[in-house]
Amino acid sequence: MAANLATPKLVDPPAGLEREPLVANQRSIGWISDAVSRIVEEKTPVWWWCAFIPSLIMLGALGAMLAYQITTGVGVWGNHHPEMWGWDIINFVWWIGIGHAGTLISAILFLLRQRWRTGVNRAAEAMTIFAVMCAGIFPAVHVGRVWYDYWLFPIPTNLNLWPQFRSPLMWDVFAVSTYFTVSALFWYIGLVPDLAVIRDRCKTRVRKMIYGIFSLGWSGSNRHWSNYEKCYLILAGVSTPLVLSVHSIVSLDFAVSQLPGWHTTIFPPYFVAGAIFSGFGMVLTLLIPLRSMMKLQDLITMRHIDLMCKVTLATGSIVGYAYTMEFFIAWYGGNPYEKFTFLNRAFGPFGWSYFIMFGCNVFVPQLFWFKRCRQSLVLVWILSILVNIGMWFERFVIVVTSLHRDFLPSSWGYYKPTWVDVTTFLGTFGLFFTMFLLFLRFLPMIAVSEVKAITPQADPHHPLGGAKGWHH
Amino acid sequence: MKTIPPQCPEPETVKYWKSIDQLENAPEFNTWLEREFPDGASENKGDFNRRDFVKLMGASLSMAGIGVLGSGCRKPEQNIYPFAKLPDDYIHGKAKYYATAMPTRGSAMPLLVRSDDGRPTKVEGNPEYPDSNGGTDTFAQASVLSVYDPDRAQRFAIGGSDASRAKAFDALNELARNAAGKQGQGLAFLVERSSSPSLVRLAQATKQKLPQAKWFAYDAVDFDIHRQAASLGAGKSVTPYFRFDQAKAILSLDCDFIGSENDTYLHCRNFARGRGVKKAGDTMNRLYSVEPLMTQTGMSADHRLRVAGSQVIAVAAAIAAKLGVAVDASKFPLPAHVKPAWIEECAKDLAANKGTALVVAGYRQPFAVHLIANAINAALGANGKTVQFRETPDLGEGNIAQLAQALNGGQVETLVILGGNPGYTAPADLDWSTTQRKAKNVIRLGYYEDETFAATDIHIPAAHYLEAWGDARTADGTFVPVQPLIQPLFGGLSEIEVLAFFAGVEPSGYKIARETFGGDDEAWKKYLHDGFIAGTALKPIDVQFNPAALGQALAQASIGAPNKDQLEVIFTRDYKLDDGRWANNAWLMELPDPVTKMSWDNAIHISRKTAAELGLKNAQIVDVELNGRKVRGGVWVVPGQADYTLGLSLGFGREKGGRIANFNGAKTGFNFYPLRTTQTGNIAVGAKIAATSQTYSFACTQDHWSLEGRTIIREANLKDFNEHPDFAKKFDFPEPPGGNQSLYPNPLDWKRDATHQWGMAIDLSQCVGCNACTIACQSENNIPTVGKDQVRRGREMHWLRIDRYFSGNPELAKSHNALTPEQGQYLEEWIDDPQAVNQPMMCQHCEAAPCENVCPVNATVHDQEGLNLMVYNRCVGTRYCSNNCPWKVRRFNYFDYSKRPIENLYKPTTTFKVTKREDEWELLKLVKNPDVTVRMRGVMEKCTFCVQRIEAAKITTKVAAGQSAPKPVADGVIKTACQQVCPAEAIVFGNINDPKSAVSLLKASPRNYTTLEFLNTIPRLTYLARIRNPNPAMPDYYDMPLTAKAYFEKAGHHDAHEGAAGAGTNGVEKKGAH
Repeated sequence: MAANLATPKLVDPPAGLEREPLVANQRSIGWISDAVSRIVEEKTPVWWWCAFIPSLIMLGALGAMLAYQITTGVGVWGNHHPEMWGWDIINFVWWIGIGHAGTLISAILFLLRQRWRTGVNRAAEAMTIFAVMCAGIFPAVHVGRVWYDYWLFPIPTNLNLWPQFRSPLMWDVFAVSTYFTVSALFWYIGLVPDLAVIRDRCKTRVRKMIYGIFSLGWSGSNRHWSNYEKCYLILAGVSTPLVLSVHSIVSLDFAVSQLPGWHTTIFPPYFVAGAIFSGFGMVLTLLIPLRSMMKLQDLITMRHIDLMCKVTLATGSIVGYAYTMEFFIAWYGGNPYEKFTFLNRAFGPFGWSYFIMFGCNVFVPQLFWFKRCRQSLVLVWILSILVNIGMWFERFVIVVTSLHRDFLPSSWGYYKPTWVDVTTFLGTFGLFFTMFLLFLRFLPMIAVSEVKAITPQADPHHPLGGAKGWHH
Repeated sequence: MKTIPPQCPEPETVKYWKSIDQLENAPEFNTWLEREFPDGASENKGDFNRRDFVKLMGASLSMAGIGVLGSGCRKPEQNIYPFAKLPDDYIHGKAKYYATAMPTRGSAMPLLVRSDDGRPTKVEGNPEYPDSNGGTDTFAQASVLSVYDPDRAQRFAIGGSDASRAKAFDALNELARNAAGKQGQGLAFLVERSSSPSLVRLAQATKQKLPQAKWFAYDAVDFDIHRQAASLGAGKSVTPYFRFDQAKAILSLDCDFIGSENDTYLHCRNFARGRGVKKAGDTMNRLYSVEPLMTQTGMSADHRLRVAGSQVIAVAAAIAAKLGVAVDASKFPLPAHVKPAWIEECAKDLAANKGTALVVAGYRQPFAVHLIANAINAALGANGKTVQFRETPDLGEGNIAQLAQALNGGQVETLVILGGNPGYTAPADLDWSTTQRKAKNVIRLGYYEDETFAATDIHIPAAHYLEAWGDARTADGTFVPVQPLIQPLFGGLSEIEVLAFFAGVEPSGYKIARETFGGDDEAWKKYLHDGFIAGTALKPIDVQFNPAALGQALAQASIGAPNKDQLEVIFTRDYKLDDGRWANNAWLMELPDPVTKMSWDNAIHISRKTAAELGLKNAQIVDVELNGRKVRGGVWVVPGQADYTLGLSLGFGREKGGRIANFNGAKTGFNFYPLRTTQTGNIAVGAKIAATSQTYSFACTQDHWSLEGRTIIREANLKDFNEHPDFAKKFDFPEPPGGNQSLYPNPLDWKRDATHQWGMAIDLSQCVGCNACTIACQSENNIPTVGKDQVRRGREMHWLRIDRYFSGNPELAKSHNALTPEQGQYLEEWIDDPQAVNQPMMCQHCEAAPCENVCPVNATVHDQEGLNLMVYNRCVGTRYCSNNCPWKVRRFNYFDYSKRPIENLYKPTTTFKVTKREDEWELLKLVKNPDVTVRMRGVMEKCTFCVQRIEAAKITTKVAAGQSAPKPVADGVIKTACQQVCPAEAIVFGNINDPKSAVSLLKASPRNYTTLEFLNTIPRLTYLARIRNPNPAMPDYYDMPLTAKAYFEKAGHHDAHEGAAGAGTNGVEKKGAH
């Protein structure tokens, strides 16, 4: 019976619906290795130094600011009564949020078989790790007595005291440290085959040794690949809930409190969406200039950018929905304190920050509905920066406007950062860019082996792919 | 927390020895035996000689029966060496209390002062004293800090340079001999008002010995006007004693008897007792206040009429005329904005309360107003009832203008200034520093080497009242001792000791006071023990008011007509610095002003309308010109101030005041004395303002004036309270359907069976916002001061603050928008005639405390007795607890405030070695309460309900119970520092497990309510709603307090009155519709 059925004829989709390939210009596998390894092997370009030296100076400033703050007191910052948190926590949440895109791209998109992730995942993961490092600084040093930070960890000491597990700050410690560990591990595992590629191409002995050590004796055998892929899959599975948990828990820092403006059940999903939103914003900000400077337009194609713009649009709209819903609930909930907080957010002394936030996070991404906007690199780059600014202001709005006018009008205040706040924040950019530039210089910024796997050549069903003739 | 040991100086002497014998014979060893501190202990290289200080400290310690082994150049553990021989009655760590009194101008406040190891640390009111409840005021509370003021005059100085005590004594004896030789010819004394019987005795002795000597008295803020006016009316020297407890209707004619008059600790108590209604139907006094500036009295008033200071007389005369006093009111036309009905109804109410009415006039007002007040009192039959008179010796001193005349005329060869700082406070037209120099010899007893110091020949350091023997009479004339708790730290003398040189008696304060007292030793002991002699209160005498005196005063009186170009200036006693005498006291300097909530500054107070007409912005710097004299200051718009008046509070802008008064080398605040002349008095019309383009940066701890219709403070009129005694609860949020269920049951519920469950109740009806609790708390709990810059950043450390709100007529307040920036409220009309409310705010000790569950390190936890505790050692300083505190009562040590010099907080350090200047540090340490940890930087702190007092009482009770079953601490034994100091008896603390305790009874009151009750945190601190007692016939009557009106307005009820009055029937549903 089956034989009677006509074999369905596969029809090629019309050219207009053909997906753009993820590696443009039909680049060969060898070309991909060359294009990525070249960056690590060539002479250090001038622009790299131009970026690295200022970053290093800013990193130095960060060190100086932290030393000043730690030896002198938290008072050198602008936070005060009633806003006991200021730029410290804003920056923490902002950096952690940025760190979200990397793991989302590498883990969730991996599990969802989104092949386009391969072009951007390595750099995005690196960004995640460095962003989490920047983020981690703030909760660690913003406390009054830094030297007792270890009390936040459940270490059995002679004090015989444990941390307080009811506190969301405690959960933060676990969430962020787990996130950092797993992300770093995931990133490193993914790097192993590529490190081996670099190792194999090394011309000096020292280089060979160093890359050799870090590539863990990778030989590319079937067994290695098999173990590697299992491990990668498991780590992807482990990382996936972390993507959702970290920012959910960070959001609980606020949501667990009873401060109007913080005490909101919408926070966990809203924070996760916002984090992904800002993470993609940052990935775009970094990769758009890099792909031209590194001449990687064929690996990070317009399709990649187009897709990332769409994610940005989607998450930006979720965030916009959350903003609106907060207002609705503030009215619907009938609590005058809550109502006041939200009106004050938008129309009070910090109203300007609310409108920067709303404009950058809700209106700006709406431009991505238009393909022309998604295709204009300059526009996308500018908008991605606006997204980052908007998301910083989101945290500013949440932290500062909720605290500055709460229940008792007698304790109302107005928050101003100090120069130390500003310099510390800029200093974290120094740390971030120093690390990122070193990453660009010494590690393959694109997952070579994975990109190869998604080229048409790697697809046995593709006209260009497979070992032709053997199969049929 | 580690304490950095002091720097070790190079040893000055041989430190090695060959044998024990050599050591034993060495003079150093002998000195070492006698000295408190061993050689090499840190020697102060500053302005004062540490050796002297140590000697005196040692002397005072041994006086208290304590020999102390030395502390040295090691870690401070050396300080806790045990006694080799324990003095008999010494119990380590147990404080002693001595009765004494703080002399004030013409009066005194009986005190009980705590002494720890020989150093006074905390001042309390003497609760045994019949006319006191143990309450005091801010000045008494802060006075203990001044003992340890490192800027005190610490030396005898002759011609400005150091002199030994003996040399100074010789010089004084020489002068006294010369004076005696000339019968006192050419000798003049300048004294401050005092009630000391010893001083009177010595003055009389001196007068006998030196009949030609002249006596002058000067106080920049002079309460003697009450006596002078009463004496004019009575024909003999009498001092009025106001019985606010007997008064049902009180009219204050610019008399701030709650805040800036003398003996406020008495007035607060007596006034407040008439305010705290217990149940429906209780009576309550009613206060009418007529005043130009917003004062604490005005804030407590039921009806407040703002008129310019120079026009108060018109209101006084009009009311007097209505009450049948022979006053020609037409001479003093009422200002246009004063409604005749106000006068009429006020007079009617006073007349209706014949015998229980009281009219008081303030010290700022001229004689005529005082005499009108006296005449009204006489007409209302108040004399002997609500106002009593006692005879007072009149020393017949001249005034400072006469002294200046004498000086300029060359009639004064030797001028003896006993206290006071005329170089700063004297009327500007006297050009005092030059005038003073006209005397050949100027001898001055001064607490500081201040503005007066430069023009003195012999400068004698004054002893603090806690260092010197003396005596005084309180408001009712009771004889009280001034008993020292410590030897003068810098060898200072008291007024009577200096006077003794001229009176020809031994300059020993003790002997003088003892002789004045007379009696036998047993009586003397009892007198010192009790702190007063019962029955010495002067008997009230009958006084007939003399209308002729009134007629004469009125004939000389005039009424001012201030306008935009002829502004009225009002010089006023500052709520914190008085006339400047407390300018170097950091506690007072940092205390927020009760009205403006301004810290570290004074300002030119101005009304909204005047500022608008003159085009002035808040905090703009302006020049005020009056009669060709000019002062500069920042303007501050104050709600409720009379138009076209400028309120200038004295005491700031010191040229030479010390490291607080001249913080960071700059003058703190503005000096308005240069505008004040012998002509201007306290109130003068004719000033002009010239604006500058600069803006001044004030440190204000509460910018926002409006309560925004929130139910944090709940109020009702007496009438509504009588109809609905439980009105306060009607302001609660409606309970959610199904009740207040908790997703997560309180983990401490199972522990609620401890014997003691601490709680507190604060009666807002009785609280007058006097600020004493804030300072008492600061003193008790070692709370640091942080400096103006930090206060501007909201980092003041007060555990207890007084929240002050203004509420306006809702018709005017309609334009008010809570969302507009703070600056907006200065332009809004609703602030013109506001009602004010005060609320002491501190840790609420919630049973389900939101601060506790967010602390990651368990640094803030609950105990079984319901206290929310703060474990300083455990705190890492995440500050989440503060963010999650709805009352924002937690304070964070952003810097090492206790240890670092507050002018150098931002100075970067790579080590932790920045400490205060050694002299400052060593001295300021002595004021600390040893029972309370001094917190380091990076930790959170807050009100503990004075846990150290609770524990001490529990231990005492346990010890007393011995082997028998544990007993609860008796009610009333534990008083928190704020409760103990509160003259108004508004704060009550105790065991809420005991249904009969005072606090339980208050909490059972229908007025009891919880702030932010809907958060369900179950605070242990609850408030009793405030009751106002307005007169329905008055034109400014509101059918409900304005805060309540604003609440109903906010909640969307246009028939607000029905809502409040009818809260009992349908208030809940109405409020449901937020």
